[in-house]
Amino acid sequence: MKILLIEDDPQTSAYVANGLREQGHVVDHSTSGRDGLFLASGGGYDVMVIDRMLPSVDGLAIVKTIRAAGVKTPVLLLTALGGVNDRVEGLEAGADDYLTKPFAFSELHARVNALARRPPMADDATVLRVGDLELNRLKRMVTRGGKRIELQPQEFRLLEYLMRNAGQVVTRTMLLENVWEFHFDPHTSVVETHISRLRAKVDREFDEELIHTVRGSGYSVSVSA
Amino acid sequence: MSPHSFFRSTSFRLLAWYVVVFGASVAILLFIVYWITLAALDEQLSDSVERETQVLVELYRARGLDSVERAIQLRAVELRPPRRYYLLQDTAGTRIAGNLPPMKPTEGEIVLPVSQLFPGRRAKPDDPADAYPVVAHGRKLDHGEFLLVGENRYRAVKAQEAIVRAFGWGIAITVLLAAGGGAVLGVGFLRRIEAINRTTRSIMDGDLSKRVPASGGGDEMDHLAINLNAMLDRIQVLMESLKQVSDDIAHDLRTPLSRLRHRLEDARVKAGSDGEVVIGQAIAELDAILETFSALLRISQIEAGARRAAFSDVSLGQIVSTVSETYAPVAEDRGQRLEAIIDRTLSIHGDRELLTQMVANLIENPISHCPAGVEITVELRQEGGRPVLCVADTGPGIPASERERVFRRFYRLEASRTTPGSGLGLALVKAVANLHGASVELSDNHPGLRVTVRFHAAGAGGARTYPARDATGVAHGVAQ
Repeated sequence: MKILLIEDDPQTSAYVANGLREQGHVVDHSTSGRDGLFLASGGGYDVMVIDRMLPSVDGLAIVKTIRAAGVKTPVLLLTALGGVNDRVEGLEAGADDYLTKPFAFSELHARVNALARRPPMADDATVLRVGDLELNRLKRMVTRGGKRIELQPQEFRLLEYLMRNAGQVVTRTMLLENVWEFHFDPHTSVVETHISRLRAKVDREFDEELIHTVRGSGYSVSVSA
Repeated sequence: MSPHSFFRSTSFRLLAWYVVVFGASVAILLFIVYWITLAALDEQLSDSVERETQVLVELYRARGLDSVERAIQLRAVELRPPRRYYLLQDTAGTRIAGNLPPMKPTEGEIVLPVSQLFPGRRAKPDDPADAYPVVAHGRKLDHGEFLLVGENRYRAVKAQEAIVRAFGWGIAITVLLAAGGGAVLGVGFLRRIEAINRTTRSIMDGDLSKRVPASGGGDEMDHLAINLNAMLDRIQVLMESLKQVSDDIAHDLRTPLSRLRHRLEDARVKAGSDGEVVIGQAIAELDAILETFSALLRISQIEAGARRAAFSDVSLGQIVSTVSETYAPVAEDRGQRLEAIIDRTLSIHGDRELLTQMVANLIENPISHCPAGVEITVELRQEGGRPVLCVADTGPGIPASERERVFRRFYRLEASRTTPGSGLGLALVKAVANLHGASVELSDNHPGLRVTVRFHAAGAGGARTYPARDATGVAHGVAQ
């Protein structure tokens, strides 16, 4: 994957860039808003990771400018601002996702992956499939190996989100934001509880586990290799 | 501005006083005129009667009784009011001449009521011109005869009537003018007050750039507008510096903390199994610090009210039921029971994200602070047209003396010091409730704790009025 990183803090950018390169991605890095905007306008990237507070041209302005110019590349906005309005502002400017500093690299990586595969597929597919697990979004029905599985509405949404990102790591925060619309960190084990209930229904009676815990990162639904 | 609000306004009260005081002074003035005029007319009347008596007495002395009798016969036929009355009687009390019945001779001034003028005919006299009391002057003549000359009070009574009419008109016109003038002044005044209210409302809604319009006339209202604007400028500067400080702290504190976290993460990867656990704990500690710090910033920003600009109509019923459904399995895993009784039709004007967090905090509190076996009840219902959210548990509860204090930042009950949490949960609940003009109240659930959040009536300008702040009837009335 070809990723553009616009971040002025050398330590953070080194951390992000090295991490992404270790994961096998090609990373172009720019430290100033103006150079970043130039690179971003050129296009050709799969994902852009842009810091919100930059010298000269700030991150929001870059996103607005490239969106106005018709560049549709997914953008992940990074920010040290944890304000209640900041996320909304970022999304309104045209960013696709928003991550508050400090973050674990695994969180950033999961989100970059989710963004990269966002537009072309999965989103409008009626039936999602992972191995013998099948989720029909119209009929709101889940079967595994042809056997019907009854799910609560929230369990259905959780499984749907996991399956839409099948093969990818989905972090706890991503689940909270996308499944429950919680933009804060609950003090109780909401995600863990719901995952374990989902597992009990989806995996327990079957030989092969489809919902995997990725240690230190999150969860993923996949057929193990 | 509705008529309802006008009658409750200060200017209406001023206007009413204005009318009363003005009307009263006009009334007093007219009353004085009335008395003085009547007194003058009565004095004139008794003067004229006395003079006429004197004329007849002199005639008697010069020409004798017969001349007086003839004079009276000539004079007593006058038809037009005011009418004159005469009586001449001899020593035996028999009438010699005149148009009055004989009476007991009395010297000096006397007043004869209408009934005494025509005895026998009790009711009204035949001629309406006679229907007035008579002021008369009696005199004993030199040879024992009695002479009485009188004139009725026709003029005084007519003057009295005219003055009373003038009275009526005068007061009516005064009240009308006072009311009209006062209303014109009052409406202008009210309009300017309303402009100030509108401005302060939109500022409370988060638009800090608004200012009160000044007419430039240099009057007291202008001074008020100028002072308010100066105060608003100051508030705006303070709010902006709060935002600046938050941003600076965010940037200058979070950036190094981010670096620290990144280094720890790197170290964890490289440390091997021994160091991994320790470094993992260090990261967890760091995350807790960052979380507390974010929560503090968040509460300050909510309290600053900047968020109100983004309010929209949200389904409170849906938020509460989603959050309850989310937490029910969590409570179950801890051996607790969460029951939700929710009126899903309720909605308010507010911020979905913050309301979600508020409800989550309210439900998480009993889940994390109560032991297994408790029952948690989440109830959303309508009470007097207002949505009321109630989260009750059957746990240990909070002593009455500590109930107010738990809303303070970092305040933690003795019993919950060992459980994880920042001590900011209820402070955030309170901040979100305040932002929505809702009240939060803790009470005893016998046993346990009951938290009640009372919102405004949906649709009835819920987020438009802030009853805790608007003490004046004007602001409340015009918001309808």
